[in-house]
Amino acid sequence: MDLATIDLFGHWVGIFLTFCILSFLYKDNPFYKLAEHLFIGVSVGYIVTQQYYNVLEPKVVQAIASADHWYFNLALVPLVLVALLFVRSVSKRYAWIGRYPLAFVVALYAGIQINAVAQADLGQQMKRAMSDVVVDRTNVNTASAKVIQNMPGMSPDVAQKIVAHRDQQPFSSLDDLAGLDTLTADQRATLDEGRGHVTGLDARLAVTDGQIDWFGTLSRIFMVLGLIASLVYFYFSIAHKGAIGGVSRFGVWVLMIGFGASFGFTVQGRIALAIGRSMDILGLDKAPAVAEQIHGPLAALVVVAIIVFGLAVWELRSRRAR
Amino acid sequence: MADKPTELPEDRTGKRPRDLPPANADQPKSNLPGARSLKPHWTERLATFDRRWVFLAMAIAIVVPFFAPLNLPVKASPRVRALYYSVESLHEGDVVFLSMDFDPASTPELAPFFRAVALHLKRKGVKMVLASTWYAAPPLVERYIREMVDRPLIGPDDTDYKGPPDRAYKQNVDYVWLGFREGKEAVIAAMGNDLRATFDHRAADGTPLADIPMMEGIHQLKDFDLIITISAGFPGTKEYVQQVQSRYDLPIVAACTAVSTTDLTPYYDAGQLLGLVGGMGAVAEYESLIGKPGLGTQGADVLNFGHLVVILAIVFGNFIYFAGRRQRRKRGQ
Repeated sequence: MDLATIDLFGHWVGIFLTFCILSFLYKDNPFYKLAEHLFIGVSVGYIVTQQYYNVLEPKVVQAIASADHWYFNLALVPLVLVALLFVRSVSKRYAWIGRYPLAFVVALYAGIQINAVAQADLGQQMKRAMSDVVVDRTNVNTASAKVIQNMPGMSPDVAQKIVAHRDQQPFSSLDDLAGLDTLTADQRATLDEGRGHVTGLDARLAVTDGQIDWFGTLSRIFMVLGLIASLVYFYFSIAHKGAIGGVSRFGVWVLMIGFGASFGFTVQGRIALAIGRSMDILGLDKAPAVAEQIHGPLAALVVVAIIVFGLAVWELRSRRAR
Repeated sequence: MADKPTELPEDRTGKRPRDLPPANADQPKSNLPGARSLKPHWTERLATFDRRWVFLAMAIAIVVPFFAPLNLPVKASPRVRALYYSVESLHEGDVVFLSMDFDPASTPELAPFFRAVALHLKRKGVKMVLASTWYAAPPLVERYIREMVDRPLIGPDDTDYKGPPDRAYKQNVDYVWLGFREGKEAVIAAMGNDLRATFDHRAADGTPLADIPMMEGIHQLKDFDLIITISAGFPGTKEYVQQVQSRYDLPIVAACTAVSTTDLTPYYDAGQLLGLVGGMGAVAEYESLIGKPGLGTQGADVLNFGHLVVILAIVFGNFIYFAGRRQRRKRGQ
């Protein structure tokens, strides 16, 4: 597959700009500034074009142009609201008029958000948080296939086979699951992988009712205690001394565990970005035929040489100027 | 060794702030009676070492594994497995909605997922409707459609792939690209109510939706067999859950960047999301389930090295901090 010249050039520009940004590790310099300003300029140009063709042109320009009476058209309302935003720059006395379109936007999004957040976050999440602290194991002889398929090592197909078998003959032991003759070798291996007495299948599944999932129960207790302790940490009307101080300190630990998890994922995300750029430069994310045309590693070496040379010249000129 | 004052960091212009006094201005001169030694302790020297060494270590940790991969085993977590089974339970002819809410900055984490899920959907013969609420997404999505949907993802060179083959999909026959709509969560709420009106009853190429056979019977988000959100932030999966999932009880699975994973996990735990793939590591898990290792698997291997550098940096930083604190206590500072 032959790469179009514009695409080839685009890849090289991408490699050049990547190293321009990385040159900031040396210090602020013209290459970094070039990439930074180019990024801002292109972004603004792109946003303006997108907004015009996606919003202004179809929703306002065309709507007004195609109407029988342009002056009696609902499309004029957003146009007037936008115009009101600019009153501030014309008259200080009437600058307050600009608050109306802002109030309209805030009210609109508040209306959209309040109900949705109350329903999805408050309602559903509280429903989950307020469930029983003691977690029972799922009874494989009575649970639906949909519930069983979410257990470790299970799949929808395996769950169906288990339900089909238990309707004929209930299971007397979890070991009988792996002995099902309808399972494939892969399914049996995955089921074995899912076994475990802490968080695995043996901890969460049982053949009778009333068996406790100890790990699940401890998790719930920790969640409830952690929630209370975290709230206590942010309750400032009582001095954090004695027992309250102890609970508050536990709250800090819980919060730190939460922040630690977020930080870990953030690090993962940032490293993934570096991996993405490296793959692009090395051509590992492209078909071999395309990567051969781009010559990413060679282009990177040339770019680094250009930037190093440019920085050396810039340093010399700066010193002379001083 | 001669006493050397601690260097102040340079500002972004590369100049040393001139108005500030030297870092050790308030300390007694060493030739005065009773003066302490100004020779910095080794913990102080290490605490102010050039952080660019960390960047260099990270660069080496990222580049080297590409040439000497570890190929560590990948084991799918329950939430990735749940997403896989949600797609696996679809049948030929079913229609899924893919919300492509990302920008170029998140492609290293999300593009490998789209490649994997596109293969999964195509080999099952599931039809796709794609749309976006991110203004930066359309050029990316159109490129991905050209590269991953219009063409088969499995070629004759993929000898390691054991799954069923996929085929080239045809626009407005097997998939529909609706394009981008501005309005953030208001657009998501509108799609839940009337998808066709939200996109002015036309696909991105101008074809009336009424003329596309695969769109028959699809008027709202609840008419889809599954909704897959590929989201890098706001608006994205969270807004889908808030605006339409709870209201219409929709089956939604999500792929997100690693940063968003902790925000979205409570939705998975509460059953509001049927499955969740968070970050590059989880994409590798999904690739292992569909039997086609790709960029996620390759990236996850490198990710392990990167994490090792971060862990070592944290251990090193803490060691220096505690050793320095012990030294300061000894000095009585």
